[in-house]
Amino acid sequence: MTRKTFVKESKELFRDGRVRIAMFIVILLMGISIWISTQHYQNINKQYETAKTAERNVWDNQGEKNPHSAAHYGTYAFKPKYPLSLIDQGVDKYVGSSIFLEAHKRNEAQFSAAADQTGLARFGDLTPDFMLLFMIPLLIILLGYNSFTKEHEMGTLTLLKSQGFSAWRWVLGKWMALFIPILTLTTVLFIVAGLILSNLKDFGIFDWNSLIWMYLLYTAYYIIFVNLILFISAKTKKSGISLVVALSVWIVSCLAIPKAASNIAEDKYPYPTRQEFAANVLKDKKQGLDGHNPWSKEAKLLKEKVLAEHGVDSIHKLPFNFDAYRMQKGEEHEADIYFKHYNYLKDQFTKQTKVYKGLAVFSPYLPTRFMSMAIAHTDYATHWNFADAAENYRIATQKFLNDDFAKNSAYGNWGYKADASFWKKLPVFEYSPPELTAVLSQNTLNLAVLSTWLLGSFALLSFIKKI
Amino acid sequence: MITTQNLTKKYNNQTALDRLNLNVGKGEIYCLLGANGAGKTTTINLLLGFIEPTSGNALINGLNVLENSKETKKFLAYIPENLMLYPSLTAIENLDYFSGIAGKKLTKQHLISFLKEAGLQESAFEKRITAFSKGMRQKVGIAIALAKDAKVLLLDEPTSGLDPKASNEFGQLLQKLSQKGVATLMATHDLFRAKEVATQIGIMKNGQLKEEFIANDISLTDLEKTYLVTMNYKEVAL
Repeated sequence: MTRKTFVKESKELFRDGRVRIAMFIVILLMGISIWISTQHYQNINKQYETAKTAERNVWDNQGEKNPHSAAHYGTYAFKPKYPLSLIDQGVDKYVGSSIFLEAHKRNEAQFSAAADQTGLARFGDLTPDFMLLFMIPLLIILLGYNSFTKEHEMGTLTLLKSQGFSAWRWVLGKWMALFIPILTLTTVLFIVAGLILSNLKDFGIFDWNSLIWMYLLYTAYYIIFVNLILFISAKTKKSGISLVVALSVWIVSCLAIPKAASNIAEDKYPYPTRQEFAANVLKDKKQGLDGHNPWSKEAKLLKEKVLAEHGVDSIHKLPFNFDAYRMQKGEEHEADIYFKHYNYLKDQFTKQTKVYKGLAVFSPYLPTRFMSMAIAHTDYATHWNFADAAENYRIATQKFLNDDFAKNSAYGNWGYKADASFWKKLPVFEYSPPELTAVLSQNTLNLAVLSTWLLGSFALLSFIKKI
Repeated sequence: MITTQNLTKKYNNQTALDRLNLNVGKGEIYCLLGANGAGKTTTINLLLGFIEPTSGNALINGLNVLENSKETKKFLAYIPENLMLYPSLTAIENLDYFSGIAGKKLTKQHLISFLKEAGLQESAFEKRITAFSKGMRQKVGIAIALAKDAKVLLLDEPTSGLDPKASNEFGQLLQKLSQKGVATLMATHDLFRAKEVATQIGIMKNGQLKEEFIANDISLTDLEKTYLVTMNYKEVAL
């Protein structure tokens, strides 16, 4: 009976011109979105490789130069584009792709893709994640809103009831007829994405496990929608009402709650403005050692301490260049200040994330979105991770340069120049995002909420039996 | 095969069916006549188990329909006034689905033979129901009953709206089924058809069975007169 109902429902669906047109449009848009993303992805990757190589060449070939001048000259840390960003671009577009690394200052990531676009970018892009998160649930609604109501409206329900049918098998048949086309569509999309990604050159490490996890995630998301839509259809008598209720659920889940969550999170745990942040950092910086200022109270205290440690009475007698040593200490002080202030931002981010996770109880979209971005390494947490790695690299670079300055020159010798071959000794900045297992363990709450949604939606199905 | 024992249905204080006692045996066709609201459809819905009686029992093949809902439905087939099928499916597909729902595994050849037996022209087998007339749909309904191998047939005004030819064909089909031992309860307004096909006839009014006849014992004219008198249409009857 389940198979018969599945076959019957499938025939009805695909003989309906509206459904065929809708399926065609979704498949077409999906194909276009994959094509656009692949082009974008290849383009960005090419830019990344070109910029990374060019910037390193500039660094390696800066010739004889004072190390501290080189520190101010600076270099860039480029954020790689990850393979699964082809499917979910997450916040990548908005957070910037490179960080300028220089002495004394931690910079924000810059050159975001959104900044290169016009205001029309606010309308959003046609991306696979848009199709997966918004359009496929809409397609589920279109295919399933009248799954049960049509039986009332056509009058077939009485004949069905008189046949002595098994309600749960009937529901299962309808469930399969709605879910299997969606599953097929999703499976094809992920297989195509996997094949494209595994055949792209120079794209970094592509992990099939991550793709499979993402596939399972979206499958769960669609099962939740399928269950909700069937439940709505079963509990309403008219197709029109069912459609309106189903669309309302979609609007609330996919549009209203995510936007409300954003507002609530920002309202409850606001970030300081850029101006406030810069002022706070500057205030703290002024209260500590400035590497460039030998006359400050902190610099004098450092001098006395170092002289005492080395048992000498003049900085000229130290076995290293005290200017460079002071600058390194100043650098460390500034790094501590940046960590303190950025940790505050991170705390706010963590608190905001908790608000999102809390509101995920009302919307299966939220945990799916967060998990998807996290697996694709396009979420804010990965960006933080990258920014921290870049900052650690900046601190290590400053130490590398200051140490050379301190070791190879005497106090007051600002004319010292490091050898032209010296720059190549600085290790290249390499960044690896968190492994899949780490991503999953960081998202256990999202997983739990999504699982609860999944189980809850199946529980709702059990109420369909009596129609 | 079809039995009601003091079957009563009340909606609030309104009595839709009042202590109905019926018995339709194997191969018998019982026609329930009556005006709208007489309780005919209520009787059929109670026998289908779609609604619960206020008191009394509805039995199919000796089983109480409420207590043995699934079991009793195995024996019966139901054709309502407007048999609604899936318009985007063909006649064969509809038959295949409804018989499948009832747990029957039939080959295409079987399905075709049932449609033929029900009198549907062969050219319509592979056509979608959306283009079918009411008479053709009723024939698919009969084919569903045949495919199910139903022992009990419950019909709610099945000939209403049919042209005389289609109505006649439908009557003949019922008689064929009756010869196979199917017990039929048919609610109808059609006195002529009732007289043609029935073995027993009952006249209902206000939820009560007012008159009951053996069909062969009464002429059509007397049946009509009795019906009109029962309905209080005395002037017309005279």
